Amino acid sequence: MTARTDELTSLETDDPGNWTTRLRGRIEGLVPAGQALPARQPVYVASWIYIFGVLTLTSLVVVIASGCVLALGGVQWWHVSSLGHYVNSVHLWSVELFFGFMVVHLWGKFWMAAWRGKRALTWISGMMLFGISIGTSFTGFLSQSNFSSQWIGAEGKDGINSIGAGAFFNVLNPGQMLLWHVVLLPLGVGLLTLLHIILVRRRGVVPPLDAELEG
Amino acid sequence: MSALSIVAGAPGKYISWGVIQISVANLAIIGAMVLLFILALVVPFPTHDEQPEQEGRTQ
Repeated sequence: MTARTDELTSLETDDPGNWTTRLRGRIEGLVPAGQALPARQPVYVASWIYIFGVLTLTSLVVVIASGCVLALGGVQWWHVSSLGHYVNSVHLWSVELFFGFMVVHLWGKFWMAAWRGKRALTWISGMMLFGISIGTSFTGFLSQSNFSSQWIGAEGKDGINSIGAGAFFNVLNPGQMLLWHVVLLPLGVGLLTLLHIILVRRRGVVPPLDAELEG
Repeated sequence: MSALSIVAGAPGKYISWGVIQISVANLAIIGAMVLLFILALVVPFPTHDEQPEQEGRTQ
């Protein structure tokens, strides 16, 4: 059995054309060894300003979890159930906190020029996350199934039409907006968040400006 | 109608300054976020004392 295992291992390492081997190598090479979940950080990370990225991520977990519970009850659930109303409020306020923490995180990273040290893609992915998160929240407001969502849709259609996207992205179509809100845009947020975290772990946390100048 | 719904249904108060017009609620939230940002910069972060034998493992 051991000889068979050794033989297979040898075959895998010797075959550069093996897609699984190459994919495993790519995944293992995404982040330096031991840096995926490091237990220790440089001393300059001991500052409250470095907390807001994690708080944003924590809020996103609550947003997604409460959104999944809302999906169980359906889009009308929060109008007819006190539990549904509570979960809807958890969803709303976790989004408020998500954006609040994300903006403070953005301010902190902007003023420490966090794109230094080959971290440009980290910065760009963060800005894309900010943009797609705004789109996700807007489609959420369009999915309230009440007069507020109707009013927002009616106001928003002219803006969407003015950029030529109205034929494909109809804010007056609550079904389309709901599906964008619960499938497509959260998928984008999730994938970008994964990319953002991998890039942060790959390059490490950006040092303060004065720390780099001293080095 | 509960007191809360009366508050939620009341028209917001707005501050106008030239071309800028913003509700008091939004201005208060922005002010709170700026305050939070400043506090995050100046409030010391609680740290553990380093053990001498562990210093070599810092990144």
